[in-house]
This record gives sequence, structure tokens and C-alpha cells, in this order.
Amino acid sequence: MGESFAEFRESFFYGSRTDLCFKFLKDVPDDEAARFFQELLWLLGEAYDTGDVQPLIDAAYEAQLRAYEARQDSPWTYDDAPFAPLHKSLADARVLLMTSSGHFVRGDDPHPFGVPDMTQEEAIARIGDFLRSAPALSVIPRHTPAADIRVRHGGYDVRSTVRDLNVTFPRDRLVEAEAGGRIGHLADELLSFPGATSQGRLLDVLPEWIARIHDARIDAVVLVPV
Amino acid sequence: MSVGHVAREIEASGTPTVVIMVRAFRHVAEAMAVPRAVITRHPMGRPLGAPGDAERQRAVIEDALALLERARSGRTFAERETPYRPGRFRTKESDVTLPTRPERDPSR
Repeated sequence: MGESFAEFRESFFYGSRTDLCFKFLKDVPDDEAARFFQELLWLLGEAYDTGDVQPLIDAAYEAQLRAYEARQDSPWTYDDAPFAPLHKSLADARVLLMTSSGHFVRGDDPHPFGVPDMTQEEAIARIGDFLRSAPALSVIPRHTPAADIRVRHGGYDVRSTVRDLNVTFPRDRLVEAEAGGRIGHLADELLSFPGATSQGRLLDVLPEWIARIHDARIDAVVLVPV
Repeated sequence: MSVGHVAREIEASGTPTVVIMVRAFRHVAEAMAVPRAVITRHPMGRPLGAPGDAERQRAVIEDALALLERARSGRTFAERETPYRPGRFRTKESDVTLPTRPERDPSR
């Protein structure tokens, strides 16, 4: 029995063709997905001649955006909008970088579910377990060499950040901002956790995380979700 | 979105935050009333820009810092207009271990 087009689409979402850049295809109607593939192939033919892949990149971006915007429902909606003003000049402020990118220091692996040295592939396979569990917070001393910073997150395509951690953990850019006097200090200890996690469990651990931020006398936090 | 909850709770505790995120999450961030967010028109997983594109990454960080200074109320969003630009920026592939491509056995 042949594979249907719908099965093909869905296989990119934690299936036989898992591809976290294109997992959105699962929720795209068949006719729209077919147009997307057709467009990509057409633009690839153009790129044969022009050498310019930007139109391919733009088409993939637009398709991804359309797919996410089609799901207008947010699982969490709040009416109140918390706001705390910045009380001092950034040039005097201590800034923390905190990301949900799943970075951690080599030798300080949080060992999810007790698994030693879990790979990215295993994290993808266990995405359901992650989404039911509490997140583990990793402390990353700011001077840690990039080669000693690892990443694992079953929810997004980590290839970019493996190549350059600043794509989702912009440590080097904030070090530059400090050197240039744009910010007073970058915190000594930066923070990361895998954002694919139980929201209820996250809310349970947040007071502890926030106490740590206050203890470090942080004036402002740069957050990066993935 | 986990960072939506993190931003809200940190902000409620009295410390200002700024989120850097891709456009695909914008409607979720708005529904969650994220305090401040810089939105990039980048693919998911590449919020700051392409690997090695330090120039773009710097511009995004500067927008985030400026938003920290400029915002006067919660749910303040600043969307950058520039599209993602791909890797003309050489990184050392020899130093990194990339995840493997999944098996493509159609019988599975």
C-alpha cells in the first residue's frame, strides 16, 4: 500500500522524516502543501541559473509563517500585561542572558530522565516526555569556551546554534555590548533550559529561578525562545 | 511558549525583560502579553540570524537593548523588517558535530 500525501506531510512531524524546520507541514492542508513543494522546486530551478538561494529561503519562511499564523489559538492568554521599567542607565546595568535553547556546559549535562549523554536524536524521540516534565535549568559561566557549550532540545532544529551558539544564545554579542560600554555588565552566570517542557511544572520552578536572578542583582534580562 | 511565562513572572517580580523571537511566535507572545519583544523575520530556530552573521546578530541585540530603554508599558513589540539572510558566513564545520538526518524508510 502506497503512502498517502497526508502521511508524507505528517512524517516530518516527529515521524519517519522528522525535520524540525518543516514539522509545520503536518498542519498544512494538502493543496497548500502541494503548492509549497511545487514552488520550492520551481525556485530551485531558478537557483540553478542564478545561484541565488534567497528566494528559496524566503518561500520556506513564508510557508512556515503562514502555517503558524493559521493556528491563531494560543494555549495561554492573559489580559494583564506585567511591566517593570528599567530603573538605571543600561550603561550601568547588569544584564542576564537566559534562553530556552537547551544549552549546557560539557561535563554538566542535566541528564534528562536519568539518561547519560542523551543525544539530540534521543531528545527528539522523547519530546512527549519532555513536554510532561519539569525543565532543568543550566548555569553557563560567561567565559565558558564555545567548544565546551553543548545544546540539546527536541523542539527545534539545533544545527544553526551548533554551528554558532549566538544564533540562539547570543553570549558573544552581549560580551561585545559590555566591551563597548552599551551595557554595564554581562552577568557572570548565564542561564538556559530546554523550552519544550510542562508549563505547569515550569511555573512551579520559576520562583526559585527568579530568586537566583535577584540574588545575582540583575537589572535586566534578555530572553530568547526558540 | 515557555519564555512567555518566564518573561511575565520575572517582570512581575520587578525586573525588566526583553524577548528576542521569530515572527512565527508573535501571536502567541501577544496573547501571553509578553512585556517587550523584538520580532525577527527569521525561520524558527534562528532568532538572532544565520550562523556567523555577527552583523545581523549585533543589530538584533541593539534593537533589544533599545526596546528595554524605550518601552513604557507591557506588550510592547518591535518587528524588524529585514529578511533572514543565509550562510555566506563561514563557520568551522570541522569543530562541530551536527545531528544526523533521520532514516527515510517509507515503510515506517
